[in-house]
Amino acid sequence: MSSAAVDPEAERHASTVAPASARYAASHVSKAFNGAPVLRDVSILLEPGQVHALVGENGAGKSTLFKIMSGMYQPDAGELVLGGEQLADLTPRMALHEGIYLVPQEPTLMQHLSAAENLYVGALPRRRVPGFVDWARVRGEAATFFGRVGLDIDVQTPARLLSIAQQQLLECARALVHNCRVILFDEPTSPLTSHETEILFRLMDALRADGLALGFISHRLDEIIEVGDRVTVLRDGAMVTTAERGGCSRNDIVTAMIGRPIGVRTRVRRSSDVVDRSEVLKVERLSAAPVFEDVSFTLTKHEVAGLAGLVGSGRTEIAETIFGLRRADAGEVWLEGAPLLHRSPRECIDAGLIYLPEDRARNGIFAEVDVARNVTAGIIPHLPRTWHLIRAKREESLAQEVIGRTSVRTRSLGASINTLSGGNQQRAMFSRWILAEPKVAIFDEPTRGVDVGAKDDIYDIISDLATSGLACLIISSDLEELALICDRVLVIYEGRIVGEVGQGEVTTARLGELVVGGAE
Amino acid sequence: MNVALEVERTRATRRTVRQALGRAIRLREVQLLVAIGVVVAVSTAAQPAFVQPGNISFMLADASATAILSIGQTVVVLARGIDLSVAPILGIAAVLVAFPAQDLNLPIIAGLGIVLAVGLVLGAANGLLVSVARIPPIIATLATLSVYGGLQFIFAKGEEISNIPNAYGNLGNNDIVSGIPWVLLITAVLAIVVAFLLRSTNVGRSIYAVGNDAAAAHRSGIPVQRIVFLTYVVSGVLAGIGGLIYLCHVGSVDSTTGSDSNVNLLSIAATLIGGTALTGGRGGVLGSVLGAVFLSVALTAMVFARIPSIWEPAGVGVLMLLAMLSDRRAGAPARRTRQRTAGSAR
Repeated sequence: MSSAAVDPEAERHASTVAPASARYAASHVSKAFNGAPVLRDVSILLEPGQVHALVGENGAGKSTLFKIMSGMYQPDAGELVLGGEQLADLTPRMALHEGIYLVPQEPTLMQHLSAAENLYVGALPRRRVPGFVDWARVRGEAATFFGRVGLDIDVQTPARLLSIAQQQLLECARALVHNCRVILFDEPTSPLTSHETEILFRLMDALRADGLALGFISHRLDEIIEVGDRVTVLRDGAMVTTAERGGCSRNDIVTAMIGRPIGVRTRVRRSSDVVDRSEVLKVERLSAAPVFEDVSFTLTKHEVAGLAGLVGSGRTEIAETIFGLRRADAGEVWLEGAPLLHRSPRECIDAGLIYLPEDRARNGIFAEVDVARNVTAGIIPHLPRTWHLIRAKREESLAQEVIGRTSVRTRSLGASINTLSGGNQQRAMFSRWILAEPKVAIFDEPTRGVDVGAKDDIYDIISDLATSGLACLIISSDLEELALICDRVLVIYEGRIVGEVGQGEVTTARLGELVVGGAE
Repeated sequence: MNVALEVERTRATRRTVRQALGRAIRLREVQLLVAIGVVVAVSTAAQPAFVQPGNISFMLADASATAILSIGQTVVVLARGIDLSVAPILGIAAVLVAFPAQDLNLPIIAGLGIVLAVGLVLGAANGLLVSVARIPPIIATLATLSVYGGLQFIFAKGEEISNIPNAYGNLGNNDIVSGIPWVLLITAVLAIVVAFLLRSTNVGRSIYAVGNDAAAAHRSGIPVQRIVFLTYVVSGVLAGIGGLIYLCHVGSVDSTTGSDSNVNLLSIAATLIGGTALTGGRGGVLGSVLGAVFLSVALTAMVFARIPSIWEPAGVGVLMLLAMLSDRRAGAPARRTRQRTAGSAR
């Protein structure tokens, strides 16, 4: 089955079980966490056959609102009304029963279970004997649902072998299985490539035509404008504005979001009068078959280089190999003239190489740990000490200083990091690595799941770091982002460097051509 | 043309066979069967008495007691819990059957009723502590290990009860055919039933889901607390049945039965050797049963090799460690592997 084609059988399936439409309203909802208000008197209405887009900066309360609407959190005040019927004390189970489904920001699949089983988990189809699973139906129908969301995988593949994008599409497919009336998408596109995003939008269009009420959060304004029939802007937990399609412009939305007008983003320029362009990182003929082969490049001081490539092209694996997380078959890596290959992450950090991983939730943050400890986690051996004992007060002031520089918004240093919004978690991750005083930094998808305002902050942080001498390598699927901040972009396709776009020539179009394997 | 097609078809078949073989070799159940075969072969080569029906029957009966407990343990571990209190549950069940059996000549079927009730109550207590009171499983069941151990001592009044009716001993020690004891049949039936329920019922799949990711399971509408509670009840009930089997097999019981033979360790060892991940969500009971058989065979082989029995606990520990080392996914940090597929590349 081609991944792009819409399966006719799936179409028929959808029409036979078309759910009853219903409008879903959240009115005057308020929510506070440990006394800190997150939502204040917010009301939104999801109409059947419409996409209601929700925008706002990180921490504006968008995800919280959707979590309340899907029963994950209980609101402190306000009520939820679905099709005229009030939903009191909504639980996720009730929500599913009522036909409300939340596609979460980060896919949360059962890693050891098959893709097909993940699709149905919690609601596996039964045989006539109650309680018994109809595996034949699970396997048979799973492929149909996967076809509808453009997912081309073996239904028996364990979820842990799927890419993030595939996992996200599987989450979307689950909403179809549950035959939902209301689907809330919490930033579904952030881990997706543009092609996958297109498939998702086509799917959303079909659902809209079927009369479902859709909620949609995104940080990409273009997407909001493209798919939103109605747009609501949240700021600091309160509703700022709500408008029909065409009722407000891109600039209006941005102004409403951040409370101030923002200039059109321009290419980040750093002073070009830097003289010290000495080489800091040299990668020579690095290979780890079959993932990537014969990768060579160098990074100089003050440089921001990009690594462009599709998901699965081997870009993350290259970074992980340089950082000592994977073994290379062949090749050499030198940091300031000293060999680096076959070192552990600890030794890489000490030598001055840092790596900010792509999958923040899994490989980055220590979820239950407080902000201060998360920030200092990269330099534990070098923390201020008396004899062998860490000086907690001085550790915290160190953390305080650096999160000030990266403007992490947190209630306190002692708050656990999972209470922070995605953008603030990412800023905290930057803080961690700034503390390590690196010479070379590899940032893997540094702005994934981060809003416009925070994106600019992150670009500024990167640009400041480069000005102060750091050599940066940015891995990103967002070609516009690479075009904005990079001096030079290496393009990787199927594990090989297929091109390098030098200073002044970096454009989205040129990169786009190369990442899909377009010839030189 | 036809020849080429034929060659291609043969190649494809060979490839499929090779793939199936590759998959089978990676299955823990297959690995264990091979390991058991190797131990048996080596021991028999050294001492032919190893494969005498009497010894085979002894090893399988011995494995059955461990296997029954490890079936329950596996169910708990699959949902990312652990039950450290199976030893005294086994002990209490055996003691509470032994007294009426000795004094009133209680029929076995009534004894079964008693052990089911004991297992149900004690397992439910564990379940409540973990699911409702939200005490971490290792703490909750470590505490009940001590509580139930104390109760067992009180119920047994410090005595050894050994005057058990013959019917019990017959069930526990007789063979169906030479070399295959009745208790093995009971174990096999229990294992197959539980394996089937785990694989084919919504509750069974929910146990796997909870072990994989409890938060995501909750989000999917699975009643996580109820499922966790249930796993401890299953473990308790199976430990109770284990108590009856033990009583039938050994013919006596006292205030430290179960705990003295380190049943807790054995049940966890069999579960882990059987390929169930301590982190939950992966594994199954058939592996655990084979794990129990492997343990029994390996420990008997140690006896045949004239290794003094004081080394037995060390042997169990070493086998557990070897099982962990041979499981690539158990020890290595959880890493996401990416596959390059057409679907993800664009």
